[in-house]
Order: sequence, then C-alpha cells, then structure tokens
Amino acid sequence: MDLVLRAIFLYFFIFTLTRVIGRRELSELAPFDIILLIVAGDAIQQGLTQDDYSLTGAVLVVGTFAVLTLLLSYASFKIPRLRPILEGEPIVIIQGGKLLHRNLKRERLTKEEVEEEARQQQISSLDDVEWAVLENSGKISFIAKS
Amino acid sequence: MADQPEGIVLRRHRDLEGRQHQMWFRRGLLALIAIVPLLGLFNVFGQRPTDSQASGPGATLELSAPTRARGGLLFQAHFTIEAQRDLQNAALVLHPDWLQGMTLNTLEPSPTEETSDNGALRFEFGHIAAGDRFDVFLQYQVNPTAVGKRKQWVDLVDGQSRIASIQRGLFIFP
Repeated sequence: MDLVLRAIFLYFFIFTLTRVIGRRELSELAPFDIILLIVAGDAIQQGLTQDDYSLTGAVLVVGTFAVLTLLLSYASFKIPRLRPILEGEPIVIIQGGKLLHRNLKRERLTKEEVEEEARQQQISSLDDVEWAVLENSGKISFIAKS
Repeated sequence: MADQPEGIVLRRHRDLEGRQHQMWFRRGLLALIAIVPLLGLFNVFGQRPTDSQASGPGATLELSAPTRARGGLLFQAHFTIEAQRDLQNAALVLHPDWLQGMTLNTLEPSPTEETSDNGALRFEFGHIAAGDRFDVFLQYQVNPTAVGKRKQWVDLVDGQSRIASIQRGLFIFP
C-alpha cells in the first residue's frame, strides 16, 4: 500500500514542481539540465521504491502513474476551468515585431533567448515576426509578418 | 495589424487579464517547496544525534542518537554508562519501539544476556566497577516502511533496581 501512496505523493510533487519551475526552464535542456534531470530521477526512484526490487512493485508504481495521468487528462478534457492549472496557458511575447517586456519578465525570458529561439527557426530578425507565443510546452511559436 | 493567431485571446494571453493571481500562486508554491530543504538544513528531518542524560543513585546514563530519522537510513545509538559505585549486574532495558520497524545491524559490546523484560528488551552487561565508563553502540537501519513516532525509552538498571531512565521519542519520516 505504501508504494502506491508514495507514487501518488511523488506524482503530484513532480507535477507541482514542473508547473512552478516554469515552462522555459523545462523545455531548454542544456547539458547541465540533463545531468540534473538524471540525478533528480535517481533520487525520486530511490525515494519511491527504496529496497523493493519486485515486479509487483514496479507494476504498482507504473500503474499508479498511468492512472493518475489518465485522470488528470480526463479532468482537463471535461473541466475547461481546470486546464489553465493543469496545462498552463500560452502567453504572447511579441506583437508586430515588438517584444512585450512585461510578459517576458513574467516568464523570466530575455530578449537574447527569444532571438536565439528565432534563429533556430530560421528567423534572422524579430522585426520580421508578427506574433510570438510562448506555448504551454515551453516552445516559442513564431508567426512571420505576411 | 494582423489578426492574432487562432486560440489566442489578447485580453487573456497578451494583457494577462485574470492571470495576475497565477504568479502569486506560483510564487507561493515555490516558497513552500523552498522551505523543505531549508528545514532540512536545520535538522528537522534528521538525522543529527541528540544527547540526553539521566542520573541516578550511583550511575549516569547518556544517550546519543537521532530523534528524527528517515526510512532506509543507517544510524547509531550510543549509550554511555558512568558508574560512581559498583554495579553488580548492569543492564539496559529498552522499550520495544527501539526495534519496531527498525533493523538492529549490530550491538557492541555483546551483552552477556539478552532477554525480554515485561515486553521490553533487556541487555545485561554484568559488572561495572565504580569509576568505570561503559559504552554500548547499537547500529540501526530504519525499515523503509516504518513511519511515525517511536518511543526511545531506556532504563539503566542494576539487577532489578532502576538507576536512571531516559524517555524521549524518535520520529521517522517517510
């Protein structure tokens, strides 16, 4: 029983953590972030299963995660008011080639980071961008001026 | 100016109307999460040892062991007996909680006799001369499923007469 309870607690802890840390930090995986993720995964695994090496234990944990993921997904689908909490909301960061600094500050985004993201999408100047939207996934969508 | 992309509501996604509280909610959660490691630094979750002492007629008993631990961790309980008079048959009587949900890896030095004393664990060490100091080490591991309060009660007895008693608790975090 305690394994399922641990899995439920850690699922919601990780869920809260990812919502709190911010989408940009999670979408950008520099080598340091990858190492940190692996270390965090290892720490979570140890806290979760501890000395339980059984197949039953693994099925309990993975099954719990699967059920919770489905439940949250269903809740988000059925209850639109929950969507901003469960999935987040997009945020406009460029309109008509102009950076919206208030929104950048809110997401701890710098102009340089937006420019870097634009370059990766073959956009050489932010002046060419009509809209840029920071999506729930942490990716930035650029829509060029027509 | 071009129309906004589909699915984007300018008042909500650009002007952030009705979204100001989200920032404070996020900051609040972040503060809550940040408090946990901070509390850890202050030994709230163990397992720095805490010293306790009790004296009685003819002897002093000291206990150095954590009062907070976490599942799976190894820890040590160190008992020190300082005899001011001859103790003919010194024994430590431990509340059964000392082994409830915990594995005793080793106990040094080995008692001359181990028995159950009215539900408690009794470890006898024989004669301790006046002026001598006698150390006992118990090495533990907390079982991962053990959670909650445990009584860390211990009596120092000589034969059947109680000399000193320490009563405190151990809290095990999951």
